[in-house]
Amino acid sequence: MTEKSVEAKGICKSYKSFFGTAARVLENISLDIETGEIFGLLGPNGSGKTTLISIFSTLIYPERGSLFILGMDARRDKGEIRKAVNISTAKPNFPWSLTVKENLRHYGMLYGLYGSALSRTVEDQIDAFELGEFRDMKFENLSTGLKQRLSLAKAMLNSPRLLFLDEPTTGLDPDMSIRTRMLIKRIHQEQNISVVLSTHDMPEAEMLCDRIAFLRKGQIVAMDTPRNLKKHLGLGERVVVSYEGLADIAALESLPGILGIKAKMGRVEIVMDRSADSLDRIIKLFCDARILDIVIKEPDLEDVFLELAR
Amino acid sequence: MSWQGELNKYLASAYKNWIISRRNIFTVFELFFWPMISLLSIGLLTRFLKVEGSMVSFLLVGAIALTILQVAQIDVAYVLLFDMWSKSIKNTFIAPVHSYHLIFGASLFGILRGSVVFFILAIVSRYLFGFNFQEGGLLPVLIFLAGVFAMAVVIGITVCISILTFGQKADVAAWSLSGLILLVSGIYYPVEVLPPVLQVLARALPLTYFLEYYRSIFIPGPHHLAMGAFLAAFYLGLGLILLDHAIERARKTGILLRLSE
Ligand SMILES: Nc1ncnc2c1ncn2[C@@H]1O[C@H](COP(=O)(O)OP(=O)(O)O)[C@@H](O)[C@H]1O
Ligand SMILES: [Mg+2]
Repeated sequence: MTEKSVEAKGICKSYKSFFGTAARVLENISLDIETGEIFGLLGPNGSGKTTLISIFSTLIYPERGSLFILGMDARRDKGEIRKAVNISTAKPNFPWSLTVKENLRHYGMLYGLYGSALSRTVEDQIDAFELGEFRDMKFENLSTGLKQRLSLAKAMLNSPRLLFLDEPTTGLDPDMSIRTRMLIKRIHQEQNISVVLSTHDMPEAEMLCDRIAFLRKGQIVAMDTPRNLKKHLGLGERVVVSYEGLADIAALESLPGILGIKAKMGRVEIVMDRSADSLDRIIKLFCDARILDIVIKEPDLEDVFLELAR
Repeated sequence: MSWQGELNKYLASAYKNWIISRRNIFTVFELFFWPMISLLSIGLLTRFLKVEGSMVSFLLVGAIALTILQVAQIDVAYVLLFDMWSKSIKNTFIAPVHSYHLIFGASLFGILRGSVVFFILAIVSRYLFGFNFQEGGLLPVLIFLAGVFAMAVVIGITVCISILTFGQKADVAAWSLSGLILLVSGIYYPVEVLPPVLQVLARALPLTYFLEYYRSIFIPGPHHLAMGAFLAAFYLGLGLILLDHAIERARKTGILLRLSE
C-alpha cells in the first residue's frame, strides 16, 4: 500500500484575534495528494493558500477536520512530520546579517545535522542551487531571486519527503521565474519527493503540477489535472482582435485549439490553447479587414473564479 | 537521533545569536558602554555621598547584578526577537524543535556575554572603588552569577511568551519587567525598606535571595539561599512549560504567521 502525502478531510480554519472575533478563512477543505505528485494550489490573493500550506506543514493547526501527512496523524505525530517535511515560504526571509552559508548551517543545526554531515549537506545545497558565488554574502544583500534560491536550499536541508512551496516565483522577473520552475522540476525528479506548491499564476501551475485545486474564498471550487480543467472550464489564452470591415468569424471555429469564441461588432474574443501555434492563421482570416488592435491575454483567474462561482 | 544531533539543536540559537551579535555595532554598547556608565555613575555616587567601605560593596553588587541581568535577559529574548524582526519565525517553527532547544542555546550565549560583562565590571570596580568581588572565594561568586542568570533566563522566557501571546508590541511590556525587578528585588537597598506589599513580591523573586546571599559576604546578615535556588528552578521549569503552551497556542490562533508578516 502506498501512503498518501496528504489526506485532509473537512479542514476548517478561522483566525481569532485576541479579543475573540473570528474570520473563517478555510471552509471544509478535503483533498488527497498522492505520493510523488506535484500538487498545485491555485487562487487569488487572500484565498487561503498560505493558510492551507501552513496547516499541511503543521506550522499552524486547523480548528476542525482530520489531517494525515505522510500517513502520520497531524495531531499526534507533529514531531515526526516536521522531520519529514519542509517549507519554502512566500517572500522568503532569514536572519539578515547571516550569510547564505551561515543561514544554511543554522537551519541545518535546527534539524539535528552535525559535524561533517552538516558541512556536506550545506555544501550540497549551495551547489545544487548555484549559490557558490554568494555563499559569504549576507542575506540582506541578496537579490529577490537569490533569496528565493536560498529558501529552496534551506527547504532541502533535511531531505524532506514532502516539500511545501508557497508562491515560489512571485516577485521574480520572468527569467528567474523560469529558472526557478526548472529547479523545482529538477528537485522533484531527482529526489523523488512530493511537492505541494501555491501560485496565482495559471501557466506556472499548468507547467509544474500533476493536479491543481482552485481555491476561492477558502473553498476548493475545482480540482483536477490541468488538462481536464482547461477542457472543462474553457481555460486558455484570450486573443482579442478589434477590427473594421469584414472578417470570416465562422472560419475561426475550425482552427485547432479553439476553446470558445465571442464575437461582437468589430471585436472578437477567442479563447484558445497555445495561441502562438495558430496566430498566423487567425490573422489571415482578417485579411479583408483593417485590424485596429490585437491583445493576447493569459487566462484571467478572477474570470475563471467568477465562472466557477456561478 | 544521535546525541550530537540533539546537541546541535540546542546550540543552533547560540550560533545564530553569536553571529548576529558579532556583526552588530550595538554589541559594543551592550557589552561595554552601558555597563560602564551604570557602574561608574553608582560608584561615583558613593563617593559623593561619602558612603563607607561595606556599603560601597552593597551598592556596587546591585549595580553589577542589574547590568549583567539586563545583558543576559536580552540575549534570551533575542532568540525570538531576531526571528520576529527578520520575519523568519516560520522557518524556526517549521523545524522539529522545542522551546527548550531554543532557550538553551540563547541562554548559553547570554550567560557567556553576561560573564564577560561581569568580569570587566568586577576588575574596573576593584581598581576604581576598591571592591574585591572575590572576598569570599570563587564559589560565592559562581553561586551569585548562577542566580542572576537564572533570573535573566526567566525574564527572557517571559518576553518570548508575551510576544507569542500578544504579538509584536508586547516586547515593550516585557521590558518593563526588569524595571519592576529593579524596584522590588533590592538592587540598591535592602527589601526591608519596601512597603509590605512589595516585600511579599520581593520574597517571590529568586534574585532577592541571591543578592542577600552574596552581600552577606561583605555585610554579614541572614540569607536563604536554598529558597532562592528553589524559586529559580521553579520559575525556570514553569517558564519552559508556559512557553511551550504559548507556542502551541500561537499555532492555533495563527499569530505565528502574523509575526512573520
Ligand atoms: N495570521 C493571520 N491572522 C488573521 N488573519 C489572517 C492571517 N493570515 C491570513 N489571514 C487572512 O486569511 C485570509 C487568507 O489568507 P492567506 O491564507 O494568506 O491567503 P493567500 O495565501 O491565498 O493569499 C486573508 O483574508 C487574510 O487576510
Ligand atoms: Mg499567501
